[in-house]
Amino acid sequence: MSDTKFVQTKRTFLKTGLASVALTTPFVNRAWAQTVELTMLGWYGTAEPDMVGAFEEANNVKFVPKYYAGGDNMLAALAQNPPGTFDIIHTDAEYAKLLVANDLVMELDPNAYAFDDLLHDDFKSFAGHWDAGGKLYSLITRFGHLGVSYNKDVLTAEEAASYDIYWDKRLTGKVGHFDWHLPSLGQMSLLMGNASPFDIGTDAWKAVQEKTLSLKPQVGGYFDFGGTFSGLKNGEMLAMVGIGDWVTGILERDGTPVASVVPKEGGIQWTESYSIAKTSTKTDLALKYLAYTMSPEGQVKTAQMLGYPGHAVTKAGRALLNEVDAAEAQRSHQVNGDPQDPITLINEGRISYRDIPVQQSLEDWNDFWSEYKNS
Amino acid sequence: MTWFLRAYLLLVIGFIFLPIVVSLLFSFNSDRFPTLPFKAFTTVWYETIFADPDFWRAARNSLVVSGCTCVLATLLGFCTAYTDYRYSFRGKSLFLAIILLPPTIPLIIIALAMLAWFSRVGMSGQIVSIIAAHTVLTAPFAMAIIRLRLSQIDESLEAAAWNLGASEWMAMRNVILPFCKPAILSSLFLTAAVSFDEFTVAWFVSGLNKTLPVHVLEIVQGTIDPQVNAIGTLVFAISITLVAVSQALIFFRLQRSANRPTAAPT
Amino acid sequence: MRRLNLYALTFRLPIIVWQALFFIGPLIFVVAMSFFVVKNYRMVETFELESWAKMVSRDYVWSAYRYTILMAGGAAALATLLAFPAAWFLAFRCSARTRQAAILLLIIPFFTSYLVRTFSWYTLLAEAGVLNGALGVLGLGPYKLLNTAIGTLTGYLTLVLPLVVILQTVTMANIDARLIQAARNLGCSPARTIWTVILPAGKTGFVIAALFAFILCFGDFVAPFYLGGSNPPTLPILIIDTTKAGQQWPRAAVVAVMMMLTLFTIAFAAIMFAYRKRASR
Repeated sequence: MSDTKFVQTKRTFLKTGLASVALTTPFVNRAWAQTVELTMLGWYGTAEPDMVGAFEEANNVKFVPKYYAGGDNMLAALAQNPPGTFDIIHTDAEYAKLLVANDLVMELDPNAYAFDDLLHDDFKSFAGHWDAGGKLYSLITRFGHLGVSYNKDVLTAEEAASYDIYWDKRLTGKVGHFDWHLPSLGQMSLLMGNASPFDIGTDAWKAVQEKTLSLKPQVGGYFDFGGTFSGLKNGEMLAMVGIGDWVTGILERDGTPVASVVPKEGGIQWTESYSIAKTSTKTDLALKYLAYTMSPEGQVKTAQMLGYPGHAVTKAGRALLNEVDAAEAQRSHQVNGDPQDPITLINEGRISYRDIPVQQSLEDWNDFWSEYKNS
Repeated sequence: MTWFLRAYLLLVIGFIFLPIVVSLLFSFNSDRFPTLPFKAFTTVWYETIFADPDFWRAARNSLVVSGCTCVLATLLGFCTAYTDYRYSFRGKSLFLAIILLPPTIPLIIIALAMLAWFSRVGMSGQIVSIIAAHTVLTAPFAMAIIRLRLSQIDESLEAAAWNLGASEWMAMRNVILPFCKPAILSSLFLTAAVSFDEFTVAWFVSGLNKTLPVHVLEIVQGTIDPQVNAIGTLVFAISITLVAVSQALIFFRLQRSANRPTAAPT
Repeated sequence: MRRLNLYALTFRLPIIVWQALFFIGPLIFVVAMSFFVVKNYRMVETFELESWAKMVSRDYVWSAYRYTILMAGGAAALATLLAFPAAWFLAFRCSARTRQAAILLLIIPFFTSYLVRTFSWYTLLAEAGVLNGALGVLGLGPYKLLNTAIGTLTGYLTLVLPLVVILQTVTMANIDARLIQAARNLGCSPARTIWTVILPAGKTGFVIAALFAFILCFGDFVAPFYLGGSNPPTLPILIIDTTKAGQQWPRAAVVAVMMMLTLFTIAFAAIMFAYRKRASR
């Protein structure tokens, strides 16, 4: 055996390893051979088969998702992956403007979507989706309301009708937080009587911080997306701050005695939108998917989504939902004339749209959140 | 006294195995959010994962990562072990420290370091980044196993080969490598298993190319359902096979000298 | 001692290059990064003390720091105590076959997903979970175990107990049996034997085992997050929060460097203590 032979042996070693790996690839690959891959950055569950399966089949495409929870996570995911990683960006509406400001998303054609069919006028020109020059960058797709989420075995709907209930003795150590500053602090801001909960001055911000810190002895934990679900499910948490029907709706379907109400201080609306990354090379397909999410069929899927339910934003979508899944429409009050119809709540002025802090920076809020968790 | 200690040992082992057994049981429970009482027996979670292309994609990534990692780590481990066995030189302890240090640094720090480093050098979010990181993490184990084997070689064997006219390379090929073969094989399996289970670093650097444990982490963070247990059970079966093979090679092939357990492979 | 030739370099260089690229490089980069600043969501490579000033002046960082050390130290101490009787039995009171089988059993957990095991504990520890159910039969509880320090410790022990048992067993099995026999013959009680013979003779092994336990717990985010409910968060959770949500890599780097310095100090102290004036040999 010559000197070089050993070096070759090392190479063969490596080659064999790589080759054996390469050999298994086609086997594992066959499930989605010859399909185009569309990458999507989205909230948990937004690219699961129940949402995108039909579209995938019809267009011979495969979604490759990267999931996150909360707009700050989304920004981090964008920053931590090389440009061009994602085609579609599913975002919280209030973060859409940051995507535009950082020149990350492409312009959309407003004429391609049925804006007249939207359920509420506010949705037509939703803040941050259009730039000052009237160009469209994000497409509204679903929404929901945040309020007090509680265990029905312990609290009544009347008791849960105020954020003050979080301080109730029965809930000591049993109040959970969805681990994201915006919704929780927004609720505290509403409780402090701020009409625009995210647009508050220095004193009001201080007051919100103090009020929040006073809740600490009640708090049982800070949970990610999955922990929020299981905490309420197994009774470990009896009330949860910063969430709404998007969590309790799923658990209700599963038979857990939990519910969410918009309390008397008002609720917060989460709104989700789709944008297409400027760096995407598959814009045709991505645009097709955006159009699909606005179609009645896509809107029904959004309402029924297994990951977490949201309300349809179009009239046609709501109509179809009532037709094909009346039970879910009823449960979520997406019925015209229902006193708890989410659109009615907006019209009654009981809902504030979630926003990023106007007078403070996101960092200030994030910082305080860390401080609160460690207090 | 002895029976008490025996019972205590069983208790400790019970504590360690309880979660493993529970995850196995719950992988067959029909309830989406696993609580007691056990609802009904089902194989639906296994069917779900087998039908889920994301699972297969993650499984494929894991195979690629652990396949490449084990080869690279064993190669590097072998080189280091042999160097340690045969040479003494200035700075040797530093040399040994840089290969043996990684397991003493918390994974979360390595994860952050790798994430930042890879994005800086333009390697972020790729399979090769995970492989590079895992190789660093597992090479010390390979080194330990192979070094243990080398410590059992009769030092005069290599010298005898040289005296008979063999070059260093030939002695390596015909004496050292055959002698180390069981340890090399064992190291391949062991490092593959370690890499197959690692999730912290993989989570930070994987981008879209998630491995199986990262897939599990995302399920725990997100939809949280017994798929986790089903995948856990499968991964357990695979890892345990790898380890069993590795252990078999250690126990049955190596002539263990009883009083040298310092580098016992764990 | 042989001269450096191609042959020697072939075996020496690869690991040096590899570790420099993928281990030393990243570690040094983390230290450097702690002096970078973030402007408009982009990291700027400079040398400023901004992140250090920010993190060091925050009370929450220090409370997380104290809590993490307390929990990891507690877990290491607990694991050392809990492992000792089992290791003692394995080292002195059982057959070689039992020992081998037990060690094999203790190795297995390293190859199961720690994540999945933690997830199991989650179902076990819940108030409506198996443990409280069993305690309920005895008329006890329910106790709040999840989202408490107990939950975190359970997770930590799951992670480190097998390792500590193995290391302690190996340590004690290596103590010269004649020493123990001599102590016996001189009429020492088992407790006295442990105190005067086994602990001093195996000091190095015990300390190293505890040190490993500390290091593993100190850097683990899974147990304090999923079983402790992040209430309060530990340093690893702080790192994840600042990278995955706050996007403040330099601040995460500050925490990482603080952790490394702490670990090096503790590891150095532990090793000094372990090797100082060894009783035997």
